[in-house]
Amino acid sequence: MRPLVELDHLGKVYSTRTGDVVALQDVSLTIDEGEFVAVVGPSGCGKTTLLKILANLEEHTHGVGILGAKELGGGRSSDVGMVFQKATLLPWLDILANVLLPVTLERRATPADKETALGLLRMVGLEDFARKRPNELSGGMQQRAAICRALVHEPSLLLMDEPFGALDAMTRDALNVEVNRIWRETHKTAVLITHSIPEAVFLAERVIVMSPRPGRIVEEISIPFGKERTLELMGTAEFAALCARIRRHFEVSAA
Amino acid sequence: MTATQSPTRAAQTGTAPRSRGRSGRRQQVVGSLSVLATLLLAWQFLPTALGTPSYVVPVFSDVMRALLDPAAFPRYLDAAAATMTEVFLGLAIGVTLGLALAITLAQLPTVYGIVFPYIVAIESIPKVAVAPLFVIWFGFGLPSKVVVVVLLAFFPVLVNTIHGLRSVDRDQIDLFRVNGASPMQMRVRLLVPASLPQIFSGLELAVANAMIGAIVAEFVGAQKGLGVLILQAQGRMETPAVFALLIILSALGITLNVLVRLLRRIVVTWEPH
Repeated sequence: MRPLVELDHLGKVYSTRTGDVVALQDVSLTIDEGEFVAVVGPSGCGKTTLLKILANLEEHTHGVGILGAKELGGGRSSDVGMVFQKATLLPWLDILANVLLPVTLERRATPADKETALGLLRMVGLEDFARKRPNELSGGMQQRAAICRALVHEPSLLLMDEPFGALDAMTRDALNVEVNRIWRETHKTAVLITHSIPEAVFLAERVIVMSPRPGRIVEEISIPFGKERTLELMGTAEFAALCARIRRHFEVSAA
Repeated sequence: MTATQSPTRAAQTGTAPRSRGRSGRRQQVVGSLSVLATLLLAWQFLPTALGTPSYVVPVFSDVMRALLDPAAFPRYLDAAAATMTEVFLGLAIGVTLGLALAITLAQLPTVYGIVFPYIVAIESIPKVAVAPLFVIWFGFGLPSKVVVVVLLAFFPVLVNTIHGLRSVDRDQIDLFRVNGASPMQMRVRLLVPASLPQIFSGLELAVANAMIGAIVAEFVGAQKGLGVLILQAQGRMETPAVFALLIILSALGITLNVLVRLLRRIVVTWEPH
């Protein structure tokens, strides 16, 4: 597998009035093409900062980061699709126009683009809602549409920032199964930021555990469950053991 | 599964409160109309019963006679046309300037920081007080009235639009940045549409202010307009005519307000009414 993302001693320091704050320190990480990586950690561990650096929304201050063939930083826009904690759909556009937004910001959408968008909506069961406005959809459906939007321009990397944090537990489980299916069908490289350990273990092939003050990687765990995941997996002893192993890190740091 | 259940749930919760709201609305309309009828009856009979002279409070039927007087009608129409010309010209200029300055300032945080205290300061002075000055500067004709209306329409649009632009969701802005949106695309396709509810709130205030501005400016010095007719009727102690003119003014003000709110419903379709 070719590496898509290569981070070498990446760091981010914010200068504030009360002194420098180290948000990220020495983050070295390689993500292969097609891989699903989850980053877990308590708030303040820099996981959102890491995601924003990958999306070129923020610039790192130390080290080197490469995404695809391009170096990160320098104010460029990077080739990523982003899913936010809230669906962040534009209420004045219908679902289809929302899904097409990354395309239409670049050029006029072609019939082929519309086909792609409708195909994605079909994949998440929203094909009948293409002409509806976001406020006519439930929270879970809105987040599904947001995932379609993140994929429509075929980015090389899919970034998800606690995408289901605002949803109820049942919807969350259903969407996790769906994300797993979407990932298998589209062969996308995916990075998921979450504070839910079971969610990270359920979805990822590799879990990166981060710890706060300063934000850094404390462990990388390979998840040996293959590509296809079902909810039954969450009931197995192996799953529980992996979750416990990750949780141990946070019990230590909280003590 | 949630995909098939949640839309029906959304549809139910969407319609149930609306139908309840509709019957509640009917009650409100009936209530409002009864209050109006009671007030009009009181207006018709109380002044006579209390022995109030007609030049202080004319009874309702006298006011209606003055309002519907065929001899006075052309004068009313002329004056209303003059006043509304001032209002519309002033609104067009004031709203455009307010929007343009708000969008410019929202993109320049440093300039905004410098200018903002002045905006607050000017906002808090009673701006109609400068109307006499404008008559000195711009004369008794149309320009001095338009300038007063511009000044009064400008600030609510400016302040509300800036507020709207600055409270656009961070994630929506990041979404546009991730997808490489240009500053122009950011303005036209995100910031302005997202601020439309606040822009319309500013517009509603601007319309109310514009009517006040036009009338006050006419009081201060003008050759025509509804404000001039009110002063003339007052000078002749024709109180029924004063009331008739107030009714015309109210009707124009309410019409403008309803038009803006209608436009808001048509444009801001995502806003819950």
